[in-house]
Amino acid sequence: MTRLQQLDDYRYLIPKSFREGMNVEGLIFASSELIKAIENDLTLMQVANVATLPGLVGRSLAMPDAHQGYGFAIGGVAAADIHKGVVSAGGVGFDINCGVRLLRSGFHLNEVRPKLDALLNQMFRDIPCGTGKKGIVGGLSHEELDRVLERGAHWAVENGYGSAEDLQHIEEGGKIPNADPNKVSRRAKERGRDQLGTLGSGNHFVEIQFVSEVFDEEAAKAFGLFTDQIVVLIHTGSRGLGHQVCTDYLEIMQDAMREYKITIVDRQLACVPIQSPEGQSYLQAMASAANFAFANRQMITHWTRQAFGRIFGSGDLKVVYDVCHNIAKEETHRVGGSSRKVLVHRKGATRAFPKHRPEIPPDYDAVGQPVLIPGSMGTCSYVLVGTEKAMDETFGSSCHGAGRAMSRHAAKKQITAEQLLHDLKEKGIHVRGASKSGLTEENPDAYKDVSLVVEVVHNAGIARKVAKLVPIGVIKG
Amino acid sequence: MDEGYRILEHPADMGIEACGPDLNSAFKQAALGLISIIVDPASVDPREQRVVTLQGTDSENLLVKWLSEILYLYDGEDFVTSTITIKKLAATELEAVLAGEAVDGNKHRLRMDVKAITYHQLRVEERHDGCVVSVFLDI
Repeated sequence: MTRLQQLDDYRYLIPKSFREGMNVEGLIFASSELIKAIENDLTLMQVANVATLPGLVGRSLAMPDAHQGYGFAIGGVAAADIHKGVVSAGGVGFDINCGVRLLRSGFHLNEVRPKLDALLNQMFRDIPCGTGKKGIVGGLSHEELDRVLERGAHWAVENGYGSAEDLQHIEEGGKIPNADPNKVSRRAKERGRDQLGTLGSGNHFVEIQFVSEVFDEEAAKAFGLFTDQIVVLIHTGSRGLGHQVCTDYLEIMQDAMREYKITIVDRQLACVPIQSPEGQSYLQAMASAANFAFANRQMITHWTRQAFGRIFGSGDLKVVYDVCHNIAKEETHRVGGSSRKVLVHRKGATRAFPKHRPEIPPDYDAVGQPVLIPGSMGTCSYVLVGTEKAMDETFGSSCHGAGRAMSRHAAKKQITAEQLLHDLKEKGIHVRGASKSGLTEENPDAYKDVSLVVEVVHNAGIARKVAKLVPIGVIKG
Repeated sequence: MDEGYRILEHPADMGIEACGPDLNSAFKQAALGLISIIVDPASVDPREQRVVTLQGTDSENLLVKWLSEILYLYDGEDFVTSTITIKKLAATELEAVLAGEAVDGNKHRLRMDVKAITYHQLRVEERHDGCVVSVFLDI
């Protein structure tokens, strides 16, 4: 077996000889430090396994925050030819459109700090979070839920959660158009019905942060960001509805694969031709779940504004942007010198389109799309901007976060919840968490250093640093 | 082989390894392992019953469907299981009776949300001395 080949300071190639059946090469973006962590688990093999899928174009990619996942590595990107390629439910993952949204305020750090505890208490009361928490009382009717699945964040705005202006600053305008609720099972709807408008648990959070550093004045200005400004980062997804859509379609794809004579090396990579009835149904169900997640983040935005309004008299928070981290998108990219329609799977990766692309809002046209990278709890997060180089090398994609480096069990053993809360408070970070055990599992030491990850994407040129955000308050599920 | 389960580590998530003298007991232990991740089982009483009938393409597929069913009943129908009786289990077929009750946030000590059951490193191994299964969960 041929091992990994270092191409330059930030690129490592997995040649086709790495494993039998690879149709394309693999490429990992990493520094010499991060590649050690990546080599430590099953990431390389998973990137190579993805490279065996039929109809892939370019390379099977992994971002510097990559770590072992299920089928696909987390941090994986793979593009399939729209006519000859396949779609894999596992290539999007269980938490469809898990993503982040950044809100900006007009407040300075020194205005918010004195009332931080009151603000956190208000937010913790208003935003349903943690295991087993319900959203809208009694849940939505199936008819209303179908409208959420069709209309995404638009449904939320039409029902009083935020304003039409918000929609311009969401990937896909907050609504993926080919959604079809009829392709979402009753079971998925039952799981989602009373979870709309909930944060969930695990790594999901809402953080109150301030802009600690601006790297790119022009882009920061376009995004409305300035030093010491208070911003809010929301990280959540499509909850049980999206998880069930993936579970359902893994079964459908496994059954259908036989008919299409597709063989795979890992059952979690189950896939079907994009143009097959099963492939189209999956994409319509996935779009529905993605819309649920857009609506979810829109509702949490509304409650965050209300909490700011109650404590500070103004809840005027603007949406900077909202990005998907787990999604498959039909896009046009240049491959081998010609323009091709492909389905880009981003499994723990962010779209990072450069300036002058029609997909990005007009007010960001001159700088490019904001790329939002949350760090681990209580460390820092980044705003980046998409680049031309990402279009050339990664189908317009970049990293999505810090990436776990330690199991939940190991993380828990490292520190008690009391010690963790104390340490964070010493750093000026106040936390409200629904579960002590959940907090210790998200102990920042369980993750890679997000700054190292961001340095790699910046230096490799697949996104550019705009601003660094440092938290002062955390709401955890 | 004695019946039991243990929790496995994964960089992002967690898994369950379960064993027993036969497939039936290993499947039951895997389900008890899943329930113990979601809730403190001691806080759940077996007040109502649910009958589960499933078909799979092979024993591994059946294991994923079995655990996905218990997860769905919790997350979709607010039914938390405490005791399990597997009435029938063949390679592609399972019938079981679950006893438990409606989820009550004040009564049940809920622990963690499980997103899904995965096929990652899924294993159903029938040996001369018993059966071992392992499965990873997306948390």
